[in-house]
Amino acid sequence: MDKKQMELLQGTLDMLILKAVSLGPLHGCGVLLRIQQISKDRLEIQQGSLYPTLYRLEHQGLITSEWGESENKRKAKYYRLTAAGKRKLQTEAEKWNRMADVIAGILQSTPEEV
Amino acid sequence: MRFLNRVQSWMRAVTRRSRMEREMDAELRFHIEAFAEDLARSGVPRAEALRRARIEFGGVERTKEECRDARGISFIDSLFQDLRFGLRMLRKNPGFTATAVLALALGIGVNTTAFTVFDAVALRPRAVKDPDRLVGVYRTAKGEDYGAFSYPDYIYYRDHTKTLSDLAMWSGETNVTTPDLSVANKENVPRVAGALGFQLPQLLQGGVERLTCVFVSGNYFQLLGAHPAAGRLFLPEDDQSGEPPVVVLSGNFWQSQLHSNPGIVGSVIHLDRMAFTIVGVTPVDYVGTLSRVPVLWAPIAARPLLGDGTRESLENRNVPAGIVYGHLKAGIALPDAQAELKVLAEQLRAGYPDVERNGGVRVISERTFGSIDLEAWPVVAATMGAVALLLLIACANVASLLLARAATRRREIGVRLSLGAGRRRLLQQLLIESTLIALVAGAVGLPLAYGTLHLLVVEIASAIPSYWGAIALQVTPDIRIFGYTVLISLLTGVAFGLTPALQALRVDVNSALKDSGSMLGQRLSKSRLRDLLIVVQVAACLVLLINSALLLRGSQRALRIDPGFDTKHVVHLSLEMAEPSMGYSQARLLKLNRQLMDEISRLPGITAVTQASRAPISGGNRFVPVGTDDAEPPASGGGKDKRPTAGYSYVLPNYFGMLGIPIVSGRSFTVQEAETEGPVVIISEATARRFWPGQNPIGKSLAIGSVNGPAPYPGVTAPFSRGSEVVGVVRDVRSLFLNRVDELYLYLPLSQTRESTSTLLVHTSGRASSLLPTLGSAVRRVDPNLPVVLAPLDWMVSFDPYFVISRIGGILSSIVGALGLFLACLGVYGMVGYSVVERTHEIGIRMALGAQRQQVLGLVLRESARPMLFGTVIGIAVSAAISRLISTILFGLNPADAISFAGVSLLLIAVAMFAGWLPARRAMRVDPMVALRYE
Repeated sequence: MDKKQMELLQGTLDMLILKAVSLGPLHGCGVLLRIQQISKDRLEIQQGSLYPTLYRLEHQGLITSEWGESENKRKAKYYRLTAAGKRKLQTEAEKWNRMADVIAGILQSTPEEV
Repeated sequence: MRFLNRVQSWMRAVTRRSRMEREMDAELRFHIEAFAEDLARSGVPRAEALRRARIEFGGVERTKEECRDARGISFIDSLFQDLRFGLRMLRKNPGFTATAVLALALGIGVNTTAFTVFDAVALRPRAVKDPDRLVGVYRTAKGEDYGAFSYPDYIYYRDHTKTLSDLAMWSGETNVTTPDLSVANKENVPRVAGALGFQLPQLLQGGVERLTCVFVSGNYFQLLGAHPAAGRLFLPEDDQSGEPPVVVLSGNFWQSQLHSNPGIVGSVIHLDRMAFTIVGVTPVDYVGTLSRVPVLWAPIAARPLLGDGTRESLENRNVPAGIVYGHLKAGIALPDAQAELKVLAEQLRAGYPDVERNGGVRVISERTFGSIDLEAWPVVAATMGAVALLLLIACANVASLLLARAATRRREIGVRLSLGAGRRRLLQQLLIESTLIALVAGAVGLPLAYGTLHLLVVEIASAIPSYWGAIALQVTPDIRIFGYTVLISLLTGVAFGLTPALQALRVDVNSALKDSGSMLGQRLSKSRLRDLLIVVQVAACLVLLINSALLLRGSQRALRIDPGFDTKHVVHLSLEMAEPSMGYSQARLLKLNRQLMDEISRLPGITAVTQASRAPISGGNRFVPVGTDDAEPPASGGGKDKRPTAGYSYVLPNYFGMLGIPIVSGRSFTVQEAETEGPVVIISEATARRFWPGQNPIGKSLAIGSVNGPAPYPGVTAPFSRGSEVVGVVRDVRSLFLNRVDELYLYLPLSQTRESTSTLLVHTSGRASSLLPTLGSAVRRVDPNLPVVLAPLDWMVSFDPYFVISRIGGILSSIVGALGLFLACLGVYGMVGYSVVERTHEIGIRMALGAQRQQVLGLVLRESARPMLFGTVIGIAVSAAISRLISTILFGLNPADAISFAGVSLLLIAVAMFAGWLPARRAMRVDPMVALRYE
C-alpha cells in the first residue's frame, strides 16, 4: 500500500461516510473501499474506527441499515442515506468548502495584501 | 425527530440485545472476509490476505465495545455490572452488610410506623363522600372550642343553612342491653398495657350483655354516601319519634357474631326492652365520622328509648346533643359557611335569650380524621423529632461504617484508578453500593413497620371489651407510605454514600498502591469526619435517652405523688345499676344500695364502706360557681356568672376518716345532715384561704351555684344553695388532677337517693387489690345481674392524663432511645475496630519500641473517647433545651433532673466505652513481628 497516505482530519470521517453512502447503498467494507477508491488511496482510514462511526450515524438517524446480499451472494449489512443524512451532508459540505476557502485564502495571502 | 430516532435505536439496542450482538458479529466478520477477498484479487495469497485483513482491522472486541458505546447502551451495561459487583461486595462482607442493613432498617421501619400513624390520623381523607367539602360544625363558648349543639339548635341550623347542602348529627353513644343476642366475650389480656404500667379496672358484666349504640340523624348515612352491606341504611323518615324504632348493625358485629346471615335484616331485636327492627348492616370497618366501629346505629329519635336518654335530651336547648356535619355547597368556601352560621347563631341568641347554652359556632374542615391543632402539635413534633433523630443516628452509623470500609478499600480503588477506571464510573459504583444497602434496608424496614403497627393495633383492639365496638385504625399498606420509605432509603443511600465515596476518590494512586494507610498524617485528616459522625450519633442518642428518662421519671413521680388520701387500701366500686336499661325502680335501687353496703361491710378484711358522687382521681370532675353569700349570684337565666368555680362531690360523713383526709378544723357532717342534704358544706384549706384569708371559716356561709344552673350531665341536677354553712375545713388533696392540689373544692352532704350511678369506696385492712374477687362475689350475691367496675384507687392513678402522657411518651422514646443506643454502640464498635485494623502497623512499631499493652489499649480508647465526650456535651446541651420545652407542655416534669442527665450520660459513656473496648483488645494482642511483616 502507498506509504504516502494522509491521516484523516479530525471530524471528517462522518462527512466522508455520508458522501460514500449517498452514491448508493454500501456495506461497511464497501464504504471503506469506496472512500479509498475515490481518494485514490491517498487517505488512511482506521478500519476499527469505521464501525463505531457507522453505528453512531445510524443512532443519530443520518443513515439506516438493512441486510442484503453482497456481490458474491453473501449476507451483508447495507447502509443508505436518510433524508436527514442528506441535509446533514449538504450543510457539512458547504461548511467544509467555506472553511477550505477561508484557510486557502489565508495561506495564499502575500505581505502586500495585509 | 432525531431525538425520537435515538430513543428508538436505544430501545432496540436494549430490548433486542442478543440479536444486535449477533448482527454486529456477523457484520465485522463479513468485513474482514470481504477485505481479504479484495486483497486476494490484487494477487496476495489467500491465507496471507486474511492475516493482513485482521491486522488492518485491529481489535475486534474494542471495536464492538465502541459500537455499543455509540448506541448509548454501555451505561446500562455498566449499571448492571455495578449492581452485580455491589451485590458481590455485600455478600463478601456479611458482617458489614448485616450491620448497615439492620441500622437503616430500624431507622426506616420506625419512621414508617410513625408516618403511618400520622397519615391515618391527620393526612388520609375520611372514607366518606366528597371528604374535601365535609365540614364539622361546633358550638363555641368560653373555654369550649369544640362543643356540642342541643338538638333543637341543630334542627334550626339544618333547616336554615343555605351554604351547606345538608346537616347531619352524631349524637353520642350509649350502652344498651339485649336478651336476643349472646355476645361471645373473649378473655382479653391486654399484655402491652400491663407491661406499660397500666392496670385496667376489672369489669364484671353481670348477667346482661351490653352493646355500644351510636345515635345519628336520619340523613347521616345519606350525607356521608354510605352503602349498606345488607338491607338499607337510615332514611330521614326513620328519624321521627312517632315511627316504629329501627336499628342498623355494624358489619363487624354482623360478621363476627351473626356469621353474616342476611336473614337478620327485617327481624326484631329487643334493646333495653324495646323492640327494634333491624333494617340493614353497614360495611365492615365502617366508622362514618367516628373513630371506632360501634355495634349498633340508631336514629336520634330513638334516644329517649335507650340507655340514659330522656325526652328532655331532644327538647331542651340547654342539653348538649351532638356534633353536626355537612357538605359545603359548590362554590361556597369555608369562611362563607362560617359567616352564615354565625348569623344563624345570633338569630338563635335573640330568639331564646333565656338559654344558658347559647354560644358561637365554628366551622372546620373534617376532611381527615384528626387535625394537628395547637394542642397536639408538640406531641406530634416530639414524636416525629424522635424518630427523625433515630434515622439520623442510623445514617451517621452507616456513614461511619462506609467511611471505615472506604479506608480499607483504598488499595482496591487505587488499583482500579491506575488501571484506567474513570472516577465518574467509580463514584457511580460506590453510590450504587450504598443505594443497594438502603434499598435492602427499606425492603426489610417496611414489613418491620407493618409488623409493629399490626401488633400495636391488635393489642389496642384486644384491650378493648368487645361491646365497646372495634377499632378501625387503618394500617393496610398504602402506596404513599411505601413511596415514603423508598424515598427515605434512597435519600439516605445517596446521603451516606456520597461522603465516603468522595473521600475514597480523593485517593492518591501512588500512596494507595504503596498501602501507606497507616501513615499518621493521612489518618488524622480522615478520622476527623469519622469523629464527627461519632459525635452526631452520641449526641442524638443522648437527646433521646435523656428525654425518655425525664418522661419516665416524671411518670414514676406521678405514681409516687402523695395525693393526700389513702390509695392503697381503698377499692373503688362503680355500680351502674341505675342505668334505665336495668329497669330497676327507684325504691329497688335504694334497697339494693343498702344491701350492698351491708353485705360488703360484713366481709372479712373490710374496715369501712362509704359512698360518694365521685371517687377522687377517677375522672367525672364536676364544677360549680361558688362565692361568699354577699357576692350576688346572677339572676335566673341572664348574665354571666363571674364567681370562681370549685370542684365538688357529695360524700357521706365517714368519707374523710375512711380516705384518711384530716379534718383541720370544725367537724364532718352528721348522719342527719347527710340524709336531709342540709345547707352545710365542708371546704378544703385552699378554699378557706381563698374566701376568708386569715379568718376562721367555720360558721361562715357560702353561696353555691344558681337557680337552674346548667346540668353537668343530662339527668343530674347541679347543686344550688343561697347560703350553706361551713362546718368543717379539711386538708388539701389532689382529687381532680394528680399534678396539682385542687384549687377550690367543696364537699356536700350526700343522701343515698341522690346519685343515679352509685360509687362505693371500700376500705380494706390489707392490700386493696387482693380483695377484688371477694368484693366481686359479694356484689353477685346481692344481685347477679349488676354490672360493676372494680379498681383499687392506686390503679385509677394510672389513668391520670399526666401519668399517661409521661408514661407513653417515656416508653416510646426509651424504645427509640434504646435502639439509638444500640446503633451508636455499633458505630463506636465499628469505628474503634477499623482504627485498630488500620493502625496495626503503627501499633506494631510502638510495641516493638517497648510500649506496654495497657498503654496501647489506652491509646486506642483515648482516641474514641474524645468524640464521645464531645458528643455527650452537645447532647446534654440540646436535651436541656428540649426538656425545657417539653416541661412547658407537660406540667410536673422536672427539666433539670440531675439524675436523668448525669445517670443517662454516664450510662451512655460506659456502654459506648465498652463497645469501643471490645475491638480495642485486639490492639493489645497485636504481635509486633506479624504487624511489621504485614508490609
